[in-house]
Amino acid sequence: MKKATTSIVVALTLIAGLVFSNTSYAQIGEKKAEKKANKDTEAFRYEIECVGNGAQGTYLIKVWSYSKKATVAKEQSKKNAVHGVIFKGFAGGGKGCVAQKALASDPAVEQDKAAFFEEFFADGGKYMKYVSESTDGAVGAGDVMKVGKEYKVGVVVSVMKDALRADLEAAGVIKGLSSGF
Amino acid sequence: MKKLVLAICSVMLVVSAGFGQAKKPTIMVLPSDNWCNDNGFMIEFDNQGTKVKVPDYKKAFQSSSDLMNVISKINGLMADRGFPLKNAESALKTLESESAENAMLTSKGGGSVQESPVDKLKKTAKADIIMQLSWKVNTTGPKKSITFNLAGLDSYTDKQVATAQGTGAPSFAAELPILLEEAVLSQLDNFNGTLQKHFDDMFANGREIVIRVKKFDSWDGDLEKDFGGKELGAVIEDWLKTNTVKGRFSTTDMTENMALFEQVRIPLYDAGGNATDARGFCKGLQKFLNAPPYSITNKLMMKGLGQATIVLGDK
Repeated sequence: MKKATTSIVVALTLIAGLVFSNTSYAQIGEKKAEKKANKDTEAFRYEIECVGNGAQGTYLIKVWSYSKKATVAKEQSKKNAVHGVIFKGFAGGGKGCVAQKALASDPAVEQDKAAFFEEFFADGGKYMKYVSESTDGAVGAGDVMKVGKEYKVGVVVSVMKDALRADLEAAGVIKGLSSGF
Repeated sequence: MKKLVLAICSVMLVVSAGFGQAKKPTIMVLPSDNWCNDNGFMIEFDNQGTKVKVPDYKKAFQSSSDLMNVISKINGLMADRGFPLKNAESALKTLESESAENAMLTSKGGGSVQESPVDKLKKTAKADIIMQLSWKVNTTGPKKSITFNLAGLDSYTDKQVATAQGTGAPSFAAELPILLEEAVLSQLDNFNGTLQKHFDDMFANGREIVIRVKKFDSWDGDLEKDFGGKELGAVIEDWLKTNTVKGRFSTTDMTENMALFEQVRIPLYDAGGNATDARGFCKGLQKFLNAPPYSITNKLMMKGLGQATIVLGDK
């Protein structure tokens, strides 16, 4: 009887250990993927396309992000969208889309204000204030693709570019039209 | 020691305050001649046998609701960017009311306001940069689209300093005001981007102005008059070389009677740290020519921030 109880306890312990290790492995994997996604953002490894004319003061764009985890790529799209609007701009095309230049016209600003942007683009950072998913989190059919070992996920987001520009101007990161006058 | 530090700090504060603000250009939106012509807002008159057409802005503002909507939208968006524009319609009304007031104004002694023909000629609605606006409705079967053009023109150098142009998506259902609003919203950021580049260039390389030198026929000298082996025209060029930013200017025309200097890059602040413009800059040239060995009496006239004319020989 005692032997059986010991065996059960050992078995349960093993199962629990397996479950916990799997969870922590998953968490470690996710963290790794997030770290990689952040590096991809810094390296401009994402694509932005215009999907239409947004409401006044906003850009309506689709951001394609890459990650081994589809959920990470989807979440990173918001960060990429704000990053792209500030540093990259996007091309025009159909649906009345007009090409838009990056808010930061000076390419050196990313390095010059590195400390500001590190905090701004930190996980849960201020960038979240200027972006929202326009489809309530739903990703369209054909917008999740497996490319090699990674997923390429396209998410339509709305970036509040007027508010973003105003706040960056107020923080002295980019120049306003009336700066110096 | 403390006093010395305080003195240095206060000098630095005064200097930095002086250098804080350059003279801000004014901007006004006006419909292009092409748009006015297409929409029938032109006045035709006979100029010594030649039929001349000029835009009738007042009629355009009074008659076209679309034009008013577009201008109002642009003005609003520019104000949001911290750069409020001059309203052309209001400027025209102010000119009219000022003319009426001047006509009625008399002093207690019976004197009236003096106005030379040049003063009258200068009484137009003006701005340093004109945002020239035009659009065209394209129709393909039931579909409509808008080709929109916004050009920022420097009033003095005639250079196009900003631009945004494009054709919107064709639509079956959208009405013209909606298509126009979409065009303004999608094009204005690009326009402001190019305008910002123009301002950045101005802060880096100085304000670009145009200087004209003329002579009164009553003066017996001219720009070929010799001063110590150098013609007056060359003396003025030397002065410009010394006083412009990096010696940048182009002599476009030079005869014995007139000289035209374009792309003259002047500093935004004078030696005292005060914001300056074409007139302030040319005051230096005026003083230089007034002083010996030249001792040439001259008259300085200006137009906005970027154009000045010096007429030699009289006041």
